[in-house]
Amino acid sequence: MFGLPDITIIAVGGVVLVVTAALLYWGLTFKGHD
Amino acid sequence: MADVITILIIAIYFIAMLAIGAWASKKVKNTEDYLVAGRSLDMWVFILLMIGTVASGMSLLGVSGLGFKLGWPTIWEQIFVPLSIGFCIIFFGVKLHTIARSAGYITVQDYLAHRYESPVALRTLSAIAGIIVSLIYLVGQYTAIAIVLIAIFQIPLWLALVIATLVVTVYTTIGGLFAVAWAGVVQSIILLVGVCVMAPLIIFKAGGFTYVNEVMSSVNPNLVMPWNPTGAFALPYVVSFAVLLMVGLACAPHVINNVLSIRDVKMFKWAPLIAFVAYGIVMFLLKFTGFAGQVLVKEGTIVLPKVANAGDYVILEGIKVALPVEALWAVFAVIVLAAVMSTTDRLMLTIGAMFSWDIYKKILKPDAPDATVLLISKVVVVLSALVTMILAINPPEMLAILIWMGIGVMLGTFAVPLLAGLYWRGATREGALASMSLGLVTALLFGFLNYFKVNTMGIDFAAIPLHFSAYAFIISLVAMVVVSLLTKKTADKILDETLTGWYISR
Repeated sequence: MFGLPDITIIAVGGVVLVVTAALLYWGLTFKGHD
Repeated sequence: MADVITILIIAIYFIAMLAIGAWASKKVKNTEDYLVAGRSLDMWVFILLMIGTVASGMSLLGVSGLGFKLGWPTIWEQIFVPLSIGFCIIFFGVKLHTIARSAGYITVQDYLAHRYESPVALRTLSAIAGIIVSLIYLVGQYTAIAIVLIAIFQIPLWLALVIATLVVTVYTTIGGLFAVAWAGVVQSIILLVGVCVMAPLIIFKAGGFTYVNEVMSSVNPNLVMPWNPTGAFALPYVVSFAVLLMVGLACAPHVINNVLSIRDVKMFKWAPLIAFVAYGIVMFLLKFTGFAGQVLVKEGTIVLPKVANAGDYVILEGIKVALPVEALWAVFAVIVLAAVMSTTDRLMLTIGAMFSWDIYKKILKPDAPDATVLLISKVVVVLSALVTMILAINPPEMLAILIWMGIGVMLGTFAVPLLAGLYWRGATREGALASMSLGLVTALLFGFLNYFKVNTMGIDFAAIPLHFSAYAFIISLVAMVVVSLLTKKTADKILDETLTGWYISR
């Protein structure tokens, strides 16, 4: 896909997805300090 | 010399920056206003300030240059540089901002002095180390400004530097962080919109994303792999490089001090994700522009100058063929200037804060009135600009090496004392002093050994598997743990006041 080997798509795409999901989770759960 | 339209476009940008400075100067009533914008920044201003601070001249010229030279194995900086903003907010910002509001911190050195009960030794060490690494980084920024102004205007280096220095210094000096933040808003919007419009033009000119990858693969299959099998950007190096960018940038003095300026800690809720997505898109596009340069050079569409850092000229030359309207090249120059100036102004202000607040007010003259501290902040901002401008006009060989080490030295010096201070109740003053000083010294040492490809005691420092800063980070960490375990614990009262513990928020 896109002229790239599968491992490049999986590695780069995977890290981007994990990071995005982690930051989304932070946004959904962070309530601010008491 | 450039044509009238080019001069006009650049002049409008400069006048806009000066106007922001003039407007911001009316809001500055005291040192707190000047150095932390009265802790009044809203979420979007803060996000754009953070993007502008992290997006340096290297973000445009260097990122595409590295992509041009080494291909996909360098793609990780596109993820971990934008992520440094989120890392800074989540792991440093939430706690620091909360403590700062009650304790009245102006700089991160205030936190270190409080947490480690070291109002003189650690504050002095961290302020001096911060001033040195910020000055080094600043020279690199001025060099990038000069490259662009010379290319567009065909003017001498000294004149390019004088023009750029004058504009940044005037608005930063009169408006402090209010000016830096609002100039950052304009600069970051210019950067985000400008790159999203111009980068695709270069990629399409090269034949499109897929074609570019196919050509790179035919030149060298390793150029489209996520890391190299051996040598530069092999997997261990990639991991250490990612840590360097994410943590090193997050704890850099000019970046981390921004977290003290936000109005409410609740604004940290969505800032990490928004900054990551917005700046991530720009960073990926810039890297793809570097890849496109491979095709443009191979097919003879562009010719790069025969200089050591030829890759850094890919985006400049690429835009000339992709956008064959000479007057619009000035718009590109404004984009680069925006990226560089948004870092430069923050660095100058950070140096001003560390000297006037940490050295002068907190150590040399604790009874100094606020007006004097404010005046000294402004004088130091001007002096830091003058010193770095002179260094950038005729940079000594040693300076080029130090600029290259920049973020690595920040990681080695500040990461462990900050992280251990916030999260480990066992971290002590002596541990922090040992960690910070050893981190600084070993980062410089490993940097030199790696840069000069020294081969001694059976170790080839040109071929060490990790980024040089990783070794300094590990030594700094070991020093913190060992010395802390051997020395007197910090009082529980201080640990409670500084929210020390294995949590981010509770």
